[in-house]
Amino acid sequence: MDRRKFLKGIGISVTGSLMPVAARAALNRPSLRFLRPPGALPEKDFVAACIHCGQCGEICPNRTLRYFGLQNGLSSMDTPYIIPRKKGCILCMKCGEVCPTGAIQPVKREMNAILAGVKMGLARVDETLCLSFQGKTCGICYRACPLADVAIYVAMLEQPHVTDKCIGCGLCERSCIQMPQAIRIFPVNA
Amino acid sequence: MPPTSLEKPFVLWRHLNKLRWVVLSVIFAMLVLLPFIHVYQNYVTAYAYDLLAPSEQRLYDVMEALTDPFVSDPARQLDAVKGTTWSGTFWGWQLSDPLAALGQMSAGLTVNVSFLLTALVPVVLTIVFGRFFCGWICPATFLYELNSNFAAWLRWADIKTGNQQFDKRLKYGVLVLGLVISAITGAVFIAAVYPPAIIGRELYYAVALGGFGAGSVFFAITLLFDLIVARRGFCRYLCPGGALYSLLGRYRLVRIKRIVENCIDCTKCNVVCEFGLDPLRDNFGQECNNCTACMAICPTEALTFTLRPTDVAAQGPGHLGRHFKP
Repeated sequence: MDRRKFLKGIGISVTGSLMPVAARAALNRPSLRFLRPPGALPEKDFVAACIHCGQCGEICPNRTLRYFGLQNGLSSMDTPYIIPRKKGCILCMKCGEVCPTGAIQPVKREMNAILAGVKMGLARVDETLCLSFQGKTCGICYRACPLADVAIYVAMLEQPHVTDKCIGCGLCERSCIQMPQAIRIFPVNA
Repeated sequence: MPPTSLEKPFVLWRHLNKLRWVVLSVIFAMLVLLPFIHVYQNYVTAYAYDLLAPSEQRLYDVMEALTDPFVSDPARQLDAVKGTTWSGTFWGWQLSDPLAALGQMSAGLTVNVSFLLTALVPVVLTIVFGRFFCGWICPATFLYELNSNFAAWLRWADIKTGNQQFDKRLKYGVLVLGLVISAITGAVFIAAVYPPAIIGRELYYAVALGGFGAGSVFFAITLLFDLIVARRGFCRYLCPGGALYSLLGRYRLVRIKRIVENCIDCTKCNVVCEFGLDPLRDNFGQECNNCTACMAICPTEALTFTLRPTDVAAQGPGHLGRHFKP
């Protein structure tokens, strides 16, 4: 156990004595599957760079970005995140433009720049849940994808296949008509 | 024989306090309005007025009426002003609180030059005008001063309010401690205990994301602290940003001085001073935020601005006092 983890543990237990529910949630971190905004630095650098000013959320045209309370530990309090099942990122790239600290790097809004500069996660298809793999043609995820035929392509009966160019915007997971969803984003920051 | 020509402060300076309240109100109103503008932009971007709930349509109508005279393309043009007093964007200009720059530097243990530059204008203004942010801009000051007035009402109704005195240097300890905790945890922890940062954020959460967050609890506790323990106690003794601004404004050029010939030692300036300073004995120090409340209340025009890097040395009792003997 390194020093930072140790001190974090102390912080959580201090908070825990004050608000036990929040602390239990903070310790429950593996269950939380979230994305950072497009162009965000790696998790540790991101948390160190973000000053919690909230401008990214305020400029987001889709209200995709939410803000952590205590559910992901003290250090990510008030930092932006995306739950792809609730709202996917539409890749407008405004948050990187407005971020004053470079915690979210500015990325130009064109295909090659986005493919090079954005990596929020990677989509994965659960073939036992996906309707197209069960013989019921669907293909909604393919139609929701902003990088169709680059990040995802469909085979016979609209069966989706994700390539490694997927940047994890979450629009496929958002649009999947299965519940639980058959296509999910696995974040790179975890 | 009385002196023939007494020094008088410029006539508008006793009205600056009203201007200050206008500025504080406008900034607070903007902080409330910006989240609504953001929600309105969401609705405009979605092109789905007919799909909105009746309450959402009402919000849309009000915001459209407010912004329509100024913008033709709200989704794009209303992006001009974003953010809070902690860090904001104004027509492409980014301005940040110096504490944000310092906090980020200690959290990442790196120097982020492009971000430091956004704090340059506030730093220069603070070096000239002292801790003016605390009196003229801070959205928390708006609420804290209303809270002070509320405490005065309580006292008028014979309910005791806190009047403890602590060491004013406590806040420098809070500043250092906050930066050290930021460095250890690797996150800008200091933003969580700095009211102006909290207020902008919490107003956004409340309006756009459907509820206040943990910061509002902290802010409510500071309001109660001011009410029960010490008048304006958080700003005086604990605020880390106030500490940083005080240090930067220690040798400010624009400061208030007492014109001893006009002074009648009525002590109104000391009573009205929110930061518990001592204008009566020429003791302003680095804490003064040039809020001009003392100028506004002075009955004999004995307080004025001066351009000098240090306070005037103690001048003794006022010359219009009944007991003054030259």
